[in-house]
Amino acid sequence: MSDQSGASGNLDPSPVSSSSYTKSVSDFIGIGLLLFLLVLPKLSVLFGAIENYIFPAPYGRFQNLLSSNFLHVLILIFLYSAMSQAWNIIGGYCGQISFGHSVFFGIGAYGAGMSVVKYGMVPWPGVVAGAFAASLIALMISYPCFKLRGHYFAIATFAVVEIFNRMFMVWDWINGALGLDYPIIEEGWKQFIWYDSKVEYYYGALALMTLIFFIVRFLETHRFGYYLRAVREGAEIAESLGVDSTRVKLSAMALSAGITALCGSFFVQYNLRVDPPMVMSLDMSLNFVLITVLGGIGTLWGPFLGALVLIPLQEYTRAWWSGDGLDLIIFGFMIVIVVLKQPQGIQGIVSNMFKTKKRE
Amino acid sequence: MNNRCFWLFMFAFLFGILLPVSAEEKILKIGTLFPLTGSCALAGQRCKAAVETAVEIINNKHPEINVPLAAGEGVLGYKIQLVHADSQGKPDVGKSEAERLFDQENVYAIIGCYNSAVTKPASFVAERKKKIFVAGCSSSAALTERKMHYFFRLAPNDRIESKEFCDFVQWLNKNNSSNLKTLGLIYENTEFGKHAADEAKQIASKYEMEVVVDVPFNPGATNLNSEVTTLKDKNPDVIFGACLGGDYTLFIGTVNQQNWLPKVALNYCSGFQDPQISKQLGEKGYYFAGASGYSPDFVKIMPVAEAIEKLYKEKTGVPFDTDSILETVGMLVLGQAIEKAGTIDSEKVAETLHKEEFVSPLSFGGKVTFDEQGQNNKAMSVVVQLQNGEYRRVYPPEYSTASVTFPIPSWDKRK
Amino acid sequence: MNTFLQVTIDGILNGMIYALVASGLSLTWGVMDVINFAHGEFLMAAMYLTYWLAFYGGVDPLVAWVAAGLFGFMLGWLVFRLVVVHCLDKTPMAALLATFGLSMMLKNGCLYLFSPNYRVLSGTWLEGKKIIAGSLVIPLPQLVTSIFALLMVSALYLLLRKTRLGWAIQATSMDREAAELMGIDTRWILTLVFALSGACVGVAGGLMPMYLAVHPEVGSLFSLIAFLIVAMGGFGSMIGAFFAALLIGLVESYAGFYAAPVLKYVAVFSLYLVVVQWRPKGLFGW
Repeated sequence: MSDQSGASGNLDPSPVSSSSYTKSVSDFIGIGLLLFLLVLPKLSVLFGAIENYIFPAPYGRFQNLLSSNFLHVLILIFLYSAMSQAWNIIGGYCGQISFGHSVFFGIGAYGAGMSVVKYGMVPWPGVVAGAFAASLIALMISYPCFKLRGHYFAIATFAVVEIFNRMFMVWDWINGALGLDYPIIEEGWKQFIWYDSKVEYYYGALALMTLIFFIVRFLETHRFGYYLRAVREGAEIAESLGVDSTRVKLSAMALSAGITALCGSFFVQYNLRVDPPMVMSLDMSLNFVLITVLGGIGTLWGPFLGALVLIPLQEYTRAWWSGDGLDLIIFGFMIVIVVLKQPQGIQGIVSNMFKTKKRE
Repeated sequence: MNNRCFWLFMFAFLFGILLPVSAEEKILKIGTLFPLTGSCALAGQRCKAAVETAVEIINNKHPEINVPLAAGEGVLGYKIQLVHADSQGKPDVGKSEAERLFDQENVYAIIGCYNSAVTKPASFVAERKKKIFVAGCSSSAALTERKMHYFFRLAPNDRIESKEFCDFVQWLNKNNSSNLKTLGLIYENTEFGKHAADEAKQIASKYEMEVVVDVPFNPGATNLNSEVTTLKDKNPDVIFGACLGGDYTLFIGTVNQQNWLPKVALNYCSGFQDPQISKQLGEKGYYFAGASGYSPDFVKIMPVAEAIEKLYKEKTGVPFDTDSILETVGMLVLGQAIEKAGTIDSEKVAETLHKEEFVSPLSFGGKVTFDEQGQNNKAMSVVVQLQNGEYRRVYPPEYSTASVTFPIPSWDKRK
Repeated sequence: MNTFLQVTIDGILNGMIYALVASGLSLTWGVMDVINFAHGEFLMAAMYLTYWLAFYGGVDPLVAWVAAGLFGFMLGWLVFRLVVVHCLDKTPMAALLATFGLSMMLKNGCLYLFSPNYRVLSGTWLEGKKIIAGSLVIPLPQLVTSIFALLMVSALYLLLRKTRLGWAIQATSMDREAAELMGIDTRWILTLVFALSGACVGVAGGLMPMYLAVHPEVGSLFSLIAFLIVAMGGFGSMIGAFFAALLIGLVESYAGFYAAPVLKYVAVFSLYLVVVQWRPKGLFGW
């Protein structure tokens, strides 16, 4: 099974990330980046101290630079790249374009939310239950849906989101349209709630992202990962090679859904409120797809790069041009431009840069 | 040479970053957080304009307007500067924007958020940071049952309105020897609609009214045919509606097409009170009624409203409606509280808000006081009915300007 | 019984309106395998045009739909040439995402230009007119729209099946390269198809302000249902889309009345899942 299967199939995976040389470079960068992100909040304290030493008191630009809003943007980047990476397993590596992931995201969110709000417990049992429930539901939904091809499959996942959204809106046990609001409870890792500080959430999101990236990195070079790509390139051919394509697709979906549910749990712990339109909407589903495809579908770095560009774009345009929709016009325009100019996504731009360097 | 230029430039740039922008200028930043885009954008934009109107009055000399703070410039020597943010009607965006406003923009307080579902998490942020949050028109009763110290809400909540509706129905029964007993509910299935409907159900049972049909619908619907057919089938005497903007026009249109009318139709919020929608609906919208804290014919009992409305009209082109005027009141009351406290210390201002009574010529009743949970005790609304294109107050009798048209004349009798 | 008939009539009328919106989408989807996410926003833009024509020019929607159709045609042409054509040789996701970005631009562009006000046309010729038979009510504006839907779908069907242009379109949709070799200018055909699709949705947008408020968000739900209809009918099948639309209208109406209004879309979306279990390529797909 060659990695270089490039242009065939209905997806266009970037033909890089293949040779072991590129892989080790990518690993090296990844670990370096992780280390940098680990110390980043500490750096801000250091910078702040230096700055205070040079320009005392009312200044404080660096601290402002690494302020809670900056951390908020970083947390969102981590969370969204984790979500998109989870989608990438089934959408990118396995080639099943699903618009249904917000359902799993929502189930995870409601798992943690119900655990805290309705039962007054720590969120963790709900997180686990949510992840399992999401996997189970993913299996139940996907089994009939995998019979469908291409757009029929995509529209079916659309339909699933709408059905779940509306059922949750009228389901009294989970408070229906009113949503779940967190009460004021103790802070800490046990509850995974902090009211003022963002640093803990930062590390939580970083851990979540790292976990998921490790899983996908592991898949890339192991048997199951090859099965996935074999199924993407053609279920019939894969079957002829002895790969049970339905089973591969189902396990990929279950894995992806479970991880997505974890991200959902993080989302609700971060926002301290959940209602169906917040989590189970088509908009949310599109986020998964948009970030992955713009970053580079079916690649390890794609989701991260996509989130790295799109999230700050979204957050900062809203802060600067907020008011009359101008921010969203710009956002939409950027999406169009990236899609038209760089079909392989931002990953394509980056890998082209690498390539030209190597040739020189 | 070029190199030196570059370094000079960099040096200047660094200094630009590191030095504070300007010398002491007494400015008090207030954040607004409304749904400026998305499906509630209309209401959000109007609320934003309403706060801007209030700030214009506070910051500039307006001796012709008889409102506290209008005569002078600013509050305690501070000029108020607004920082606008967009919640998109989404709770998670609202929360993070509230955090940004406080942390990044260093606003002193926030006014918002229209959608009750957004106000909840956003005001929670303010409470944790011990900053003041003023909600003008978010109507969910649950907001002021959270034991918050820094949260203040001006609107009458949906419990108060539900009670008033039932009182009104009882009053009609007494005066017209009619027997209105059955109640139908039609509401959008959101935090706002669901809350209103729940309150209505509770109170209706106390008034011995029977809820015969309960119709939630999904906002932004393409049609409301089955909803109206369901209502028509059960044919309740009275309907309480909670629909916003586009859904309200669709509802009226569908009721008209299906050739059905209840005897009394009362509406909670926005859709009915939007003066522009009422104008566009024309005769179809007549004789529907609802709760209102302000409509243009209130000018007679609150004369100052006229001059302020002129400022507001310049921005939006429409007169105030019940929701937006509450946001203006919110800003003005906050300004007064700061002046009365004599300091901008949030703790002291919050205490002042809890303790003092505020003169508010723009509120019905003229006064504003807050209880310990931040609900405006003096919040009042009257029942208005749309008659010949104008909102007329019909209940309670001591404030009424017109007699109620009851029951609603049927469609074929209208011309 | 009367209620049942009324519910059925409502369902059929609604289904017809959906068919009108979906017919254009069916065309592009079948011919070039492109999901036009901005379809609902085309509808919205055309509705705005009609509204302004009526508001400033006093032109009734019954006349203005011609202008709206032309506008839709031009919009489709422009969008194809500027955006979609560049996506054709890329993945199907490319066109979907590009049109999604476009839909954001259109929606918020209208918000920026026209404010989020809900705009209702009053004083149109058919306003409030209805046929009353016993306890049954048939609103005229919806009836007229349904007739338009019927005409539009038949016209498109005839165009595809009976004209040389239609054959060229079909050839292009089956095998673009082979069609090219046969001397068909496929680029021109595709542009025309996209523009035609815009024209269809433009006509729909021209008629709808008769009974629907115009605002920037109005297209969103329609486009979702249009996707469903086209997939349920089978891609590329105009007749399939028409029957799927009727079916969806009826199911929505029955579920809304006999189950609960809030569950009507649950029923509609479940219907799709059931149908594709039975026919994985839609009702009339192959």
